[in-house]
Amino acid sequence: MLVVDDHPSFRSFARRLLESASFAVVHEASDGASALAAVRALRPDVVLLDVLLPDTTGFELAEAWSADPQGPVVVLTSSRSEVDLGTALARSGACGFIAKRDLTAAAFAALVNGARA
Amino acid sequence: MSTARLLVWLAGGVLAAAMIFGAIHNQVLPADQAAAGYVAAFVAVTIGVVAWRVRPESRAGLLLAAIPFAGMLSDLSHVFQTSRLAVTIGLATSWLAAPLIAQVVLSYPSGRLSTRLDRVAVATAWLLAAAYGLVFALFYSPRSPVDEEIWSCPRCAIPYTHVAWLNLIGFDRDFNRVVLVVALVLLGLLVRKLLRASPGGRRVVLPLAVAGSFIVVEFTVQMILYGHAVNSWTHPTWFWIVQVAMLSVPAALAVGLIWEGGGRGALAGLVVALERTPPGAVRDALARTLGDPSLELALWLPERTSYVDATGAPITLPSPASGRAVTTLGPADAPVAALIHDPVLLERRGLLAAAGAAAGLALENERLQAELRAQLAELRASRARIVSAGDEERRRLERDLHDGAQQRLLSLGLALQLARAKLDPDVNGAAELLSEADAELRGALDELRELARGIHPAVLTEQGLAAALRSLAHHSPVPVTIAAVPAERVPAPAEAAAYFLVSEALANVAKHARATRVRISVARADRSLLVDVDDDGVGGADPSHGSGLRGLADRVYALDGRLQLQSSPGSGTHLHAEIPCA
Repeated sequence: MLVVDDHPSFRSFARRLLESASFAVVHEASDGASALAAVRALRPDVVLLDVLLPDTTGFELAEAWSADPQGPVVVLTSSRSEVDLGTALARSGACGFIAKRDLTAAAFAALVNGARA
Repeated sequence: MSTARLLVWLAGGVLAAAMIFGAIHNQVLPADQAAAGYVAAFVAVTIGVVAWRVRPESRAGLLLAAIPFAGMLSDLSHVFQTSRLAVTIGLATSWLAAPLIAQVVLSYPSGRLSTRLDRVAVATAWLLAAAYGLVFALFYSPRSPVDEEIWSCPRCAIPYTHVAWLNLIGFDRDFNRVVLVVALVLLGLLVRKLLRASPGGRRVVLPLAVAGSFIVVEFTVQMILYGHAVNSWTHPTWFWIVQVAMLSVPAALAVGLIWEGGGRGALAGLVVALERTPPGAVRDALARTLGDPSLELALWLPERTSYVDATGAPITLPSPASGRAVTTLGPADAPVAALIHDPVLLERRGLLAAAGAAAGLALENERLQAELRAQLAELRASRARIVSAGDEERRRLERDLHDGAQQRLLSLGLALQLARAKLDPDVNGAAELLSEADAELRGALDELRELARGIHPAVLTEQGLAAALRSLAHHSPVPVTIAAVPAERVPAPAEAAAYFLVSEALANVAKHARATRVRISVARADRSLLVDVDDDGVGGADPSHGSGLRGLADRVYALDGRLQLQSSPGSGTHLHAEIPCA
């Protein structure tokens, strides 16, 4: 899987947290452009995607990938709460959203498994 | 008086005296006619020289003085028939006065011909006069058949050119018809000029226009009666008519000068009018008095060293090439105001200055008001800039909080999770300690988020008013209904004002109103945002207590908006705001 976030410390802890739950994190990306490149090159099954990126929004990336049947399962995350993100979340085609403060390995796994089922 | 003017005037006097002497001595005119005709010519020269002195920048005076000169020169061939030089000069200048008159009348008062048509017509008149003079100076012969209308000279002007028996009588008749056509065209142009002038300008131009028209009509009548121009020297009646016509041009100018004095009568009316003039209407009173509806008033603001109109908006004075004239009022080093007006009013400079002086106090008042308005406009703009700069600063603070402290705390939360996962089995209650630390961290995150939201909600910046209001409603302890909110984005200052207004109102409802529900409505009107927040609480809110509403009112006023609060005890609180958003 792929972790996309522009904060290096969050990225690194998230990677370790998810790896502890047996997710194989193959790459970390810090912005939209490198995330797109990584998805093309590495074909990850799952992407943990921050909503606010320096060059784009997670919504746009999620929407682009959801149009592709081979595209990854996308879980959006943000430091903002779900209500602050408004309707864009529902439109993005992401399989789910976890606020950063609520991110646990179990919650993430539940969302991903729910999407795959 | 300058030397040039003195010389012209003296030359006019000498020439007129010589003509009177010559005409009587050579017995070509009765003494009374000779004296009257050339004294009139000298009077005309004098008026021209005076006009030249009064208005040195205009060519009108010089041209005016030239007309009687031209008339006297053309008479030379009749008065001094024995002098070759006099005859030649007389023949060459036969029609010189006509184009001069046309030019003076059409170019008055500026001395410049303003339209292309005017220039073409006057140039045609000059060409015709020159052609006639050339033909007659070269080919007029005393041996040609003598016509009673044409005076024969006993000596040839330039004898060697008189080789052919040219029928100059026929040429003269044909020429008269051409002159008639040109004269009527010039009359048409004169009428056009009068119709186009402003009322004040028309008053200035009218006397000279009447004189010019009189000359054209007089010539036209001659042509109708006789089929050719009459030799007034052999028709005493026509002699006097022609003298009157020729003198009418300078006389008209004198009348114009006297009328300028008469225009001052209107000043009394101006002074009375200004006493009752509401602010901003000094211009109207001046425009009426000066008879120029196009008049603009530019008020001088010393602090800004620029001119403004009555509303305080800056005005640039037009350049001389723009066809508008500028007259400054007050001392040259400390002007009070400037009038931008029809250039013909320059002919009534005395009236302009007097009108400016009469309007002095009202102008000063007007200027102070304009200054005040300009300052108000500036203040308003700077207030809006301050609010907008404040908003920008808040946005930056929120971003810094979000990108800095908040992200670190979130990372810390993940680290605590990882640490707890590694503490299996629990050692000395460390897991419990980590849980407490996690709870503490969540508290810190909550507070931080509330702080950031209060500073400037990211959702407003990123998604606009609709999403931001939904977020506000979500966090409100009192149930909120959003009845209406525009889906599209509005300009950021209005968006922020509306958001903070609703936010503060909801906070007040939660704190004081004891309401069970709140209704929010935001609607886009023509050029403003209408915000309504109504609750069903106890009412009695007072904006003078507590700085929250007061600050919001300032924010709304800074955008030139309006805020109304109705909160009588027992009937809830109703907040209505209109926030301009162009």
